[in-house]
Amino acid sequence: MSPRQVFQTLCRMCDDHCALNVYLEEGRVVDIDGYQGHPWNRGRLCSKGRAAVDLVYHPDRLWKPLKRTASGWQEIPLEQALDEIAERLRAIQQRYGERAVGVWKGEAVGFAQQEDLARRFIHAIGSPNYFSNDSLCFNGRWIGYSTVHGAWSVPDYEHARLVVLWGANPPHAHPNMTQMIMRARRRGARLVVLDPRLSAVARQADVHAPLAPGTDGALAWGLIQALLERGAYDRELVEGYSVGFPQLRAYAAAFTPQRVERETGVPAATLSRIAAAMAEASPAVVNYVGNGLEHHENGINNIRAVACLDALLGALDRKGGNRLAEGFPSNRLTLYRERPLTALSPIGAERFPVLYGMRRECHTMTAMDTILSGRPYPLKAMLLTAANPAMTNPNTEKVTRALGALELFVVRDLFLTETARLAHYVLPAASFLERSELHVHAMFQVVTLSRKLLSFPGVQDEYRFWHDLAHRLGAGAYFPWKDEEELTRWLLEPSGLSLERLAEHPEGWPYQPIRYEKWREQPLATPTGKVEFASRYLKDLGYPEIPEYRPPAYRSAPDPEYPFVLVTGARKLLFYHSRYQNIERFARAGRNPEMEMHPDDAARLGLADGEPVRVSSRVGTIQLPVTVTASNEILPGTVQITHGYRQANVNLLTPDDVFDPISGFPLLKALQVKVARADSAAAPG
Amino acid sequence: MRIVTMDPASCVACRNCEYACAFQQGRTFERRDSHIRVSFYPEDRVCIPGTCLHCEQPWCQEVCPAAAIRRDPVTGAVVIDAERCAGCKMCLLACPYGAIRFDSRARVARKCDLCGGDPQCVKFCISGALEFVEAEEAFAFRREGFDARLKELVSQARGGRR
Repeated sequence: MSPRQVFQTLCRMCDDHCALNVYLEEGRVVDIDGYQGHPWNRGRLCSKGRAAVDLVYHPDRLWKPLKRTASGWQEIPLEQALDEIAERLRAIQQRYGERAVGVWKGEAVGFAQQEDLARRFIHAIGSPNYFSNDSLCFNGRWIGYSTVHGAWSVPDYEHARLVVLWGANPPHAHPNMTQMIMRARRRGARLVVLDPRLSAVARQADVHAPLAPGTDGALAWGLIQALLERGAYDRELVEGYSVGFPQLRAYAAAFTPQRVERETGVPAATLSRIAAAMAEASPAVVNYVGNGLEHHENGINNIRAVACLDALLGALDRKGGNRLAEGFPSNRLTLYRERPLTALSPIGAERFPVLYGMRRECHTMTAMDTILSGRPYPLKAMLLTAANPAMTNPNTEKVTRALGALELFVVRDLFLTETARLAHYVLPAASFLERSELHVHAMFQVVTLSRKLLSFPGVQDEYRFWHDLAHRLGAGAYFPWKDEEELTRWLLEPSGLSLERLAEHPEGWPYQPIRYEKWREQPLATPTGKVEFASRYLKDLGYPEIPEYRPPAYRSAPDPEYPFVLVTGARKLLFYHSRYQNIERFARAGRNPEMEMHPDDAARLGLADGEPVRVSSRVGTIQLPVTVTASNEILPGTVQITHGYRQANVNLLTPDDVFDPISGFPLLKALQVKVARADSAAAPG
Repeated sequence: MRIVTMDPASCVACRNCEYACAFQQGRTFERRDSHIRVSFYPEDRVCIPGTCLHCEQPWCQEVCPAAAIRRDPVTGAVVIDAERCAGCKMCLLACPYGAIRFDSRARVARKCDLCGGDPQCVKFCISGALEFVEAEEAFAFRREGFDARLKELVSQARGGRR
């Protein structure tokens, strides 16, 4: 038997970056478990981490570039593929202009340096059109928090006395946060979970308040009002370090417990209980906002209202509250200073100026319209890496039509996904075990270098791909580093850390001791340098100055034809968006897909658990089995379908024309739908 | 001797432990292959993880007519020798915790063996509800939690800032 070797690296099966032991025999990964030495996950790991073994050696994995031909996919050599792609890109640039080319970076390669490489590439070849999964994830919270705090503050669970989770289910979405929350509880912290569903984490909540989808802002305002009434707010922070308090106070007055109860369904007594718990635990109160608040018509202002709570409670950058993390000092890969290209009208920048202005993020939903209409200018080529918008963007039918209409569509992935099937060229991509990169755990202010443990001939890492293409397109000067290692050395320069030093520390390198109350010494990163209860920046763009509450359309203008409210996108432990469904033992564990429904609604429709239903919105129809929950697991009138299932793709129902006006995030979590028993003979939706 | 402790006040019934155990036992994710079971009672919002407690006086061992159950001298685990097991199911009957299951494919009784001293359920427990600790240190976090609260009260009584 060959000796078993063990190496430490970081997981990238989701965005938690847990430390791993990877066990190899004869150069082949045979097992994976959690590495005890890293402060982030302390040796614990979820099942997805271990499944990297299945992913890397999956029989369906792509190993050769594929070219679409009249007679189907043809395997071609990598150099030929890159040459042909470069030639066709040049032709498109010459015919339609540089901005006719876009890149699309997906969740599966992560963020940080992988994201910045894609951003660098597209600007290096003269187009401002960088797209990503962040058109509908993360940025909403980043924008909401940053307009108030100047940054998206990170939860200091370890020292919290009260944890309030808004539309977040860590056990399934950020598994590793679960142990931090439970450790806090063991020391006496209390847990409040605000979610229309009894999520996994809500099972341990001291208070689970199921609120109507999209009404979080009303609850936040109710809590603001309750705290103001009690005088339970941090006078030092509010008086010395904030702007807009008078407007906040005036607007909050209307949010009486009775009004909040009518709006959200949360009983006045529960509101009062949460407010009392907040006042008692302040400033050691964590408010953590999950993806659940982003996909609403009033998403950003709902998030801003929660962010205002942090400041009132004095929890902002205080121990046990929401901390302003200090970044790792590294070189910057993006070219926004050198080549801003804003005069070229980045797609979506005019329509959603905050998304572009604060995040330099073009808008993927607008891109679909641009591809199809050619307005305001032609978008003809897309280089997409590690994304699967044909499953994960709203309105799948349009996404498929638009991506299929491109003159050149190049996809990099491990598998021939629904999106890859629309491409002209599909290139085999490297998994996270086949690249090395910097990972920052902002919560602990620790930087860790992941390790390249495997390599396969013909499979490029992200850097090598952008490098090779840039050199073919005359932009090689922007990609001077010979490989990923040289790039990482350059990134590390300002930190004074050497690559070798970092490689010796699989437990991570604390780059900066944790400090609190930094707002005393340095201005916040908001325009005024203070907490902004009222935002002049937003006001000048025509948005409400303070985070006003607007009820969701299903409440203010219900359509009787579509009596149910559909929440999409609740996370499942074993899947990450559309990924890992091809891991057989994952797919077989549990009912996948399913529509969750309250037992009273099921009884009214005569539905038994497991029976097929047809769900329709004004956009489309799908068919899938119903899971009848316990009576406290979902609100009556609300149904939930997780995204990413090819057998029943919920994005066939989601609209791509209803947005949060500030972030441009699509409405995915409060859709009006109708549900009926499916005729078993009917064709699947 | 190290034992697996289970804390129903931290468990979120995510089932990572079941998946890890089933994977260790049968390379599957099927609950029937797992030696640890998490029960979730939604109306009561109660999660109860349950696996063998490796009793000091194991009734399963006492009742086994084939002498197939013994204590592993290294790990302290009460283990079933599948070669000796006659499949009579007396141990299932004897165990007050229902921690032994019958494998109807192999026709033998099966139970937790602490994975030879490296229990996978604990390594894949994301909530911290499961811990693998020296028996003397079991549930030390309760003491620590109590200390934290008392410390705060004492400090408040002294007029300190909490």
